[in-house]
Amino acid sequence: MPPAYLGEFEQQVLLVVFRLDGEAYGPAIGTELERRAGRRVSRGALYTTFDRLEDKGLLRWRTVPGTDARDGLPRRLYTVTAPGLAALRAAREVVRNLWDGLDSRLRKESGR
Amino acid sequence: MSAPRPPRPAERLLRALLPRGREADIIRGDLLEEFRRRGGDRGWYWREAVSTVVQRHRYRHMLTLDHLRHDLRCAWRTTTRKPGFTALVVLTLALGVGASTAIFSIVNGVLLRPLPLRDPDRLLWINEANRRGDTISVSWMNYVDWRARARTFDTLAASRPATFTLSGAGQARRLEGRTVTSNFLTALGTQPAIGRGFSEADERPGAAGVAVISHELWQRQFNGDPEVLGRTLMLSANPYTVVGVLPAGFRYLRPYDLFVALGPIAGAEWLLDRGNHQGFVVIGRLRNGISADAASSELRQIEQDLVREYMASASGLSVVTEPLASRLVKPIKDTLLVLFGAVGILLLIACLNVAGLLLARGAARQHEFAVRAALGGGRLRLATQLLVESTLLSTAGGALGVLLASVLLRALVAAAPAGTPRLDEVSLDTAALAFAALAATACGLLFGLMPAFQASSAGGQQVIVRTRTAGASAGSHRLRSVLLAVEVALALVLLAGAGLMVRTLGRLTSVDLGFSTDHVISARLQIPEAARDEARRVATLDAILSKVQSIPGVVSAGAGYSIPIEGSNWNSIFWPQDRPVPSRRDAIPSAAMIPVTPSYFEVIRARIVKGRAFSAADRAGAPRVVIVNETLAGRMWPGQDPIGKRLEQGWPETPGPWRDVVGVVADMKFEGITEGITMQVYLPFAQETTADFTLMARTAVDPASIAPAMRDAVGSVNRDMPLAGLGPMDVVLTDSIARPRMARLVLGVFAFVALMLASIGLFGLVAHAVTERRHEVGVRMALGATRAAIVRTLVAGGVATAVLGAAAGVGLAAVLTASLRGLLFGVEPFDPLTFGAVVAVLLGVATLACAIPAYRASRTGITTALRAD
Repeated sequence: MPPAYLGEFEQQVLLVVFRLDGEAYGPAIGTELERRAGRRVSRGALYTTFDRLEDKGLLRWRTVPGTDARDGLPRRLYTVTAPGLAALRAAREVVRNLWDGLDSRLRKESGR
Repeated sequence: MSAPRPPRPAERLLRALLPRGREADIIRGDLLEEFRRRGGDRGWYWREAVSTVVQRHRYRHMLTLDHLRHDLRCAWRTTTRKPGFTALVVLTLALGVGASTAIFSIVNGVLLRPLPLRDPDRLLWINEANRRGDTISVSWMNYVDWRARARTFDTLAASRPATFTLSGAGQARRLEGRTVTSNFLTALGTQPAIGRGFSEADERPGAAGVAVISHELWQRQFNGDPEVLGRTLMLSANPYTVVGVLPAGFRYLRPYDLFVALGPIAGAEWLLDRGNHQGFVVIGRLRNGISADAASSELRQIEQDLVREYMASASGLSVVTEPLASRLVKPIKDTLLVLFGAVGILLLIACLNVAGLLLARGAARQHEFAVRAALGGGRLRLATQLLVESTLLSTAGGALGVLLASVLLRALVAAAPAGTPRLDEVSLDTAALAFAALAATACGLLFGLMPAFQASSAGGQQVIVRTRTAGASAGSHRLRSVLLAVEVALALVLLAGAGLMVRTLGRLTSVDLGFSTDHVISARLQIPEAARDEARRVATLDAILSKVQSIPGVVSAGAGYSIPIEGSNWNSIFWPQDRPVPSRRDAIPSAAMIPVTPSYFEVIRARIVKGRAFSAADRAGAPRVVIVNETLAGRMWPGQDPIGKRLEQGWPETPGPWRDVVGVVADMKFEGITEGITMQVYLPFAQETTADFTLMARTAVDPASIAPAMRDAVGSVNRDMPLAGLGPMDVVLTDSIARPRMARLVLGVFAFVALMLASIGLFGLVAHAVTERRHEVGVRMALGATRAAIVRTLVAGGVATAVLGAAAGVGLAAVLTASLRGLLFGVEPFDPLTFGAVVAVLLGVATLACAIPAYRASRTGITTALRAD
């Protein structure tokens, strides 16, 4: 089965989850996304994306007890699954292929 | 410092709209944590809470909206792909919704909407009843005592009709009004828009005449001049000062031109006679917290006391009360409810028809559904899609129905019997539109659900495997048969109703009236006050008659105090001289007293069966004579010759003057076509004059054409005598049966439409069966079956359905036509002749509808039939 196709936002979310390595839960992911991608992320969109990625089998989670900062409400820690990693790899491959040979030209064009 | 709390409503929103359980806790926890980290930014929390709720809903049920859009697109495509089918469905629905909305508008305007008076449900209409239980008007003196003694009413007001001739302001005009007590307007909860209402001083004996005029009269007669207050009106030669103008749209029972205070007649002797019931009707406004029953029983108690106190003049009296609202609509209520019932049935038939059509198409599409189900389309989704389709259809049908309703409503209002109360309040208003929307929606659900239910139960594989034409399952066929049987039954009910009305009208128009209104023109006249002594009345009428007589085209002219069909204006007890006076007062007979001119009988072609008609010799001072009708002669002097007998009008204890019976006139339907024949006494006008009378002329030409000449003739004798209701007398007769006529019209149209719908349904059923069985037909024909045998087999199914429906319909109609009883004349609700005819017509049409497609099928060549599929 070929790796799943990832939308742009899905890809960004997966990458952030991967980067946070075991500490990926809602607020952390949101903040990291906003910091790195430089865009405002609506939490609604974020949760929908979690659901969709989970439905596609690219993401999995476990529940851990909450902290005082959230009045003891539980947290969900996300990790990227093997198919998730495959999808990320494939997406990177696509981008890399598309970029192939274009770096030098881009430099030239912007240097002009 | 305690941690900041997010906005409570936003939290509540989350709790309410996120799915319960772990997941919701996690999201709330995340948002809370971040909210605190952001230093309690409430705006942020709100924004994110809303976005979370909305986005998650959209994802989870994503599809609802998407699906709906998709369904609508599909439905649109399906409906536009078969424009003929769609048009049939939409038109059927429009017919049902349109007709029912139009009738609803009338029922709502006339029966349901509250009267345009303050707290109309607290108003009671009060009359007296005599010993026999007949409702009679209220005696003034009794009213005065009620008013003084009753504790359960805020106000008790009395009023009596009064007709005036308005003179001194251009052309004399006839005005309809009421003489009222000073608290009348207060009781109704109305005050004049300009000027004042009546005061107690206006009611005292000898008070100057004052009038409160209607908005319409103010506009018509005074061009809305605000200076009208204080103006003097000459009403039947008496001066009345205008003190107020009523608000526009004010109605009491019917549009009156004006109301005058009782003052000028308050001291009159005839008013103070307790035994005299002078045409008063009393309106009572109930005190707060008092029920109508409590008030009525108090009045009854007071009346009993009065009967005890005034034995001679109040003997046997009782009180009759009724809510004003129900009194007002009484004459038309039955007709309207019957029509409303009929229209409900029509709507149901339309629904069933559409359901049948959709079902047939659903069956044809079963293959499609099965394939979709097999490809993973949920049953719910399929059913939803069908519902969307039917909703689309019913919306279109409803919209078209509203258009149709506005047209129909105008026609119905025009066809409504003259004098139908509150007709001017009928309109296609919000309530009617809501009704139309409701009817259309109900239809959509009803006829959408059935095929939807059927589709959702389609056994997928089974249907796919079967061939396409055989795909229409026997189940759907059976369901359609049941629907059609119900439809036929309902159509039969409408047909039976229409049939009964046709018979009723036939009976009504073939009744022997005893007179002829053909080529007769009539008008109501009133001799002005100034010319009211007996001699001048006779002279005035003589002059008018000779003028009218000389109009070209007039054959004869006459006049009478009362005319047939409109009924008697004067009833009185009388006594034959040769009979012993009975001991019981209520055993004294009563008859219609009708003063007439000599040519009265000739003009209306009444037959003198014995003795002679009146002549010019029967003048004042000559021996007093009367003519009686056959009924009176037969009852008073059975087996004897009435000519030469004598009778008196009035009580036996004050004998005379005695009048000789000189003639007997054949019975006339005086009180209306459907009424029995009362005893009648005709008196020569010259010996018993009245101020009011009806002028009549028999013409050789179209009676309407001499109306202007008649007006001129009267005007040339006296300028102050306006003619009221001038027109052919046929109209009076026609108007008197307007209610059954309207019922026949509406029921007839409905029945026709119902019959057509049911026939179309049967046609469709058989046509469909034929398509399904084409192969079988081919095989049979190949095996040597005759064409007739094929047709018989194919027709049998449809006709069986019709027969079943008709049988059920007869049972249903037998129950339902009982509600028509009040409208019928000369025919019983379960009239075997009508029912037989109706069943025959229905089955005949049904058989024809079944035979056409069957016959067509039998013409198909064997090979074509065998090749099907």
